[in-house]
Amino acid sequence: MDIALEQTPASRRQNRRTFFRLVGFLRPYRVGLALSVVLAVGAQAAQIAIILLSGAAIGAIKNGHHQQLWTLIALILATGVARALFMSGRRFIAGKQALGVEYDLRMRIYSKLVRLSFSFFDRHQTGQLLSRSTVDLTLVRFFLGYGLIFFAQHVLTVFGVAAVMLYLDWKLALVTIAVTPLIIAVAYRYSHISHPVLRDVQQKMADVATSAEENITGVHVVKAFAQEDAEAERFAERNERLFSRSIQANRQQSFYIPLLGFIPLFAQAGVLLYGGWMVIHGQLALQWFVSFAFLLNMLMFPLRQIGTWIGQAQRATAAGERIFEIVDEPEEIAERPGALELPAGPGEIRFEKVGFSYATGRTVLEDVDLVLEPGKTVALIGQTGSGKTTLASLVPRFYDVTDGRVLVDGADVRDLELSALRPQVGVIAQDPFLFSASVRENIAFGRPDASLEEVERAARLAQAHEFIERLPDGYDTEVGERGVTLSGGQRQRLAIARALLTDPRILILDDATASVDATTEAQIRSGLEQAVRGRTTIVIAHRLSTIALADEIVVLEHGRIAARGSHEQLLGTSAIYREIYEHGLVEQEMAGRLEEHAGDGNGSGKAPR
Amino acid sequence: MKVWQPHQHLTRVGNEKVQDWSWRQTARRLRALAQLVAPHKGRAALALLSLLAAAATGLAPPFLAKMAIDRGITKGDAHVLVIIVIVFLLIGLANWATGYAESYYTGWVGERVLADLRRKLFGHLQRLSLGFYERNRTGVIVSRMTNDIEALDQLVTDGVSTLIQNTLMLVGSAAILFVLDWRLALATLTVMPLMLGATTVFRVYSTRAYRAVRERIGNVTGTLAEDIGGMRVVQAYTREQERVRNFAELNESYREANYRTVVWNAIYFPFVDVLSGAGSAIVLGYGGWLVFHGQVTIGTLVAFIYYLSNFFDPIQQLSQLFNTFIAATAALDKIMDVLDTEPEVVDAPDARELRRAAGHVRFDHVRFRYRPELPEVLHDLHLDVPAGTTVALVGHTGAGKSTIAKLLARFYDPGEGRITIDGSDLRDLQQRSLRSQLGIVPQEGFLFAGTVRDNIAFARPDATDKEIEAAARAVGALDFIEGLEQGFDTQLGERGARLSVGQRQLVAFARALVADPRILILDEATSSVDISTERTIEQALRTLLSGRTAFVIAHRLSTIRNADLIVVLEHGRVVEQGRHDELLARRGFYTSLYTDPALATG
Repeated sequence: MDIALEQTPASRRQNRRTFFRLVGFLRPYRVGLALSVVLAVGAQAAQIAIILLSGAAIGAIKNGHHQQLWTLIALILATGVARALFMSGRRFIAGKQALGVEYDLRMRIYSKLVRLSFSFFDRHQTGQLLSRSTVDLTLVRFFLGYGLIFFAQHVLTVFGVAAVMLYLDWKLALVTIAVTPLIIAVAYRYSHISHPVLRDVQQKMADVATSAEENITGVHVVKAFAQEDAEAERFAERNERLFSRSIQANRQQSFYIPLLGFIPLFAQAGVLLYGGWMVIHGQLALQWFVSFAFLLNMLMFPLRQIGTWIGQAQRATAAGERIFEIVDEPEEIAERPGALELPAGPGEIRFEKVGFSYATGRTVLEDVDLVLEPGKTVALIGQTGSGKTTLASLVPRFYDVTDGRVLVDGADVRDLELSALRPQVGVIAQDPFLFSASVRENIAFGRPDASLEEVERAARLAQAHEFIERLPDGYDTEVGERGVTLSGGQRQRLAIARALLTDPRILILDDATASVDATTEAQIRSGLEQAVRGRTTIVIAHRLSTIALADEIVVLEHGRIAARGSHEQLLGTSAIYREIYEHGLVEQEMAGRLEEHAGDGNGSGKAPR
Repeated sequence: MKVWQPHQHLTRVGNEKVQDWSWRQTARRLRALAQLVAPHKGRAALALLSLLAAAATGLAPPFLAKMAIDRGITKGDAHVLVIIVIVFLLIGLANWATGYAESYYTGWVGERVLADLRRKLFGHLQRLSLGFYERNRTGVIVSRMTNDIEALDQLVTDGVSTLIQNTLMLVGSAAILFVLDWRLALATLTVMPLMLGATTVFRVYSTRAYRAVRERIGNVTGTLAEDIGGMRVVQAYTREQERVRNFAELNESYREANYRTVVWNAIYFPFVDVLSGAGSAIVLGYGGWLVFHGQVTIGTLVAFIYYLSNFFDPIQQLSQLFNTFIAATAALDKIMDVLDTEPEVVDAPDARELRRAAGHVRFDHVRFRYRPELPEVLHDLHLDVPAGTTVALVGHTGAGKSTIAKLLARFYDPGEGRITIDGSDLRDLQQRSLRSQLGIVPQEGFLFAGTVRDNIAFARPDATDKEIEAAARAVGALDFIEGLEQGFDTQLGERGARLSVGQRQLVAFARALVADPRILILDEATSSVDISTERTIEQALRTLLSGRTAFVIAHRLSTIRNADLIVVLEHGRVVEQGRHDELLARRGFYTSLYTDPALATG
């Protein structure tokens, strides 16, 4: 079978390699596979026998042999039952094997995905990855699970039937077999030209789905800017592109599929004409003529299907290629063999001449030298895009440095077991991700065996306990995509609790106090004040109030350390810091004045609630 | 085309149960379908005609084979044989031609109907009010556009022609059998009750089994989607092993469910095969006996055996189609429900266009609740904002600040009272003309997949490069945009994933700027950008706000204190309003709100 998709020999080779690699997934099932092929052969042999027996029965009828007819009918029934048993057995075995292959493939993709690094997920959209692990997987598993067996069965049927025909009468057989190359050629031609079109249809369909999904998710923006008509217009364009491509595929299918049904009629006509002529001239018994006609009928389905299976194989190969792109993706952040335990230590972090740039060549960090004293809190400040988040992400080894090294308690993070390093680094992201699970399960994500008391303690520390108690089912309330909707501040506090539960040496807070109101911000901060105690902490901060938690401040500018030091030192040396400080000062002054006012009068001095 | 296209919405399990089989609902479905097909009735008629022709020409060959045997071969008449073979080929040719037409026209009509439906549904979703989107989960709405359309696609492109073709085949074959010999036909069809019984039992159980399969594959895909989205958290907590184990369990439970379908198939299909063999045996036995008695010809027997397979295949195909049919009907019901949902906020028939607004906004004793069963969010809210005023709305989360913004944009209509701009009730204005004069920057700026330029020019696709650049510069976004490898032409990925939260927000600001609104609503718009960026934005705002009315929802004092008017909300009521100094002097709620111990410790 030729599975070439494109014209070039190189891509042809590539496809063939992909194809055989896919077939390799069947290796664990070779016994079952062999057995199901044997059973399939048995079933087809029984089918041929039934046809020959039917032919013989027609002969008996013509010649008036009553007794012989009853015997033949009994044989036909017995063979029919045998055939059914073969088929049943094949379905059981092949079904089990097909499901096994599917299971394996899916696990293979999933267990690869969990090992791929952050930069991989930065580069690939969720939808794209999901479509590879569902749509593409469906194509591959269908082909490996069923297609290949059917293909083998059909090829065997064609050869088996051809052999029997040749045995019965080679001249008549040749008339019949003459059309088979034509059928296969047409089938091949069809799959060859239809494949790129079908692939494009699939792509366009994905475009339409994505654009619908995006529009629905962003509906408030569309409405806010009164862009409904423009969006509908844009959608209609995509929709039309999908339609015109689908029609092209439809036209190809409409031409070739009926054609594939038409060609075999030549063989039938040949049998009818030449076979009939032979019967008339006494060169062929009527019963063999009838058998021939039935055998030919038996050939039709497999011959037509071969084209379909070729197409299937091609699509499965293309899908397999996309799956292998994931499976073969280098694991950028992998434990090296003999990776070490994290040495015991207080949590000292050392950046030595650290540089980081993307594969595209864009430099994010350059020559960063920085030592973070154990137990101290360092605030990273700097403009959007100055490399704060990237720098912090190097500590739990979400990314690897491209230059220099990062040491935690004296050990290069690249030498450590990830399972030793990462639990010691608690990360609270800008926009924390919660799973569709209960609050408790989310907080205990890093340590599922944590007791309810421990979970509650972490929640209290993060100032989350109170609002959790007020949720409909308390700690058992479902959150995430399928559960109740939490506010940004609530999500962040859950994330803080989640990070605290593993009792990490190092804590990284990425702008965790943004976008909450003053009261909540204050609550989170007081939670953090307790949380950072005894841990080396990196705070990526924008506000003076958060910066105030820090023992030292590091100012990043265009990926370099522009200044560092205490608050007083930086006021003198860093313009950026001064700007932030002055801005924050305004707030501080306000607060001070407000408090004065509050203190003077009889107004409530504390924020309500 | 049968291309399965799942996405994140697959977290939802398609429940293919059809709830309502009443005549009314059925009529509604048929009406909906008829409406969709009506514009293409010419081609639909051609599709139907070619279907009939293809079925007729498809039924002919066995009959011709019978003629060849009876009139040609057994009679030794080569001449008749040649003629029959020629007719045979001609009919084959006709079958090819009609098959082409049939496949083309049914495909065309099917694809067209789907494209129309997608477009109609999308357009309708655009018209639906925000309330609809808040009542229904995004995933559910998305699956109307994807999964449900897909289910219909299966039926429309493949199912309908299979349905008609097989029904014709079944009826046609039966008719021919009876014409050929009614006794033999009756005898042969004695296996039919068994066949129908087996098929019914099979259908009941396999439907149940397939439903379990779909449910469990839904779990598998849903978990996959979520885990890909949360992979960073999984890795940060090194929970990879546990997640793999969890996924393996789901995968296994799906496999188990699927194996049940294998079992049913492995029993049913071979059983049908035995029945069809029994049918042939009856033809040969009873037919043979009839031949012995000279009542039937051998050609008829051969034709009978041929037609018998025409008989069994369609029944199996139709029974397989049943599930597609149920799924499509359920999908159609859900889609119709969406199409029949009327937007709550609609333009009045005599709605006026809002000419360039001065921006005098009044909330006149407004009461509002999101849904009848939910508590009231705004109680008798009264607010008068002269044109050109910058109003800061302050208060705790849940005080009603964002609700005011949403009512002003007329995403909802107030339950009582009215909201006016320059004296006209919002309900008397065209939504389009109202919103085109509003600029809204929410807390998390939602960006679309597309270039930076596309996103900034979202509200005014005809904006020039100069205007776009100027807007980007004004909000301080120019630096980072030019730092991207393709500048303004950089693709941002789904929801602007290429950018950080702060950068996305800057683009959202530039987007609002390009829209050149008369009234600006900033809903905690600056809380996720860093301070120097915020200052750039504030400066930009100063020019931007001059002469425009602005509603600013913010928590930061620096943002609030410059406002011309500060409105303090608590539990949906205005508790205080005035300028910063006035409010401070009053030492009321405002003072308490911003006397926060933490702010003073810096």
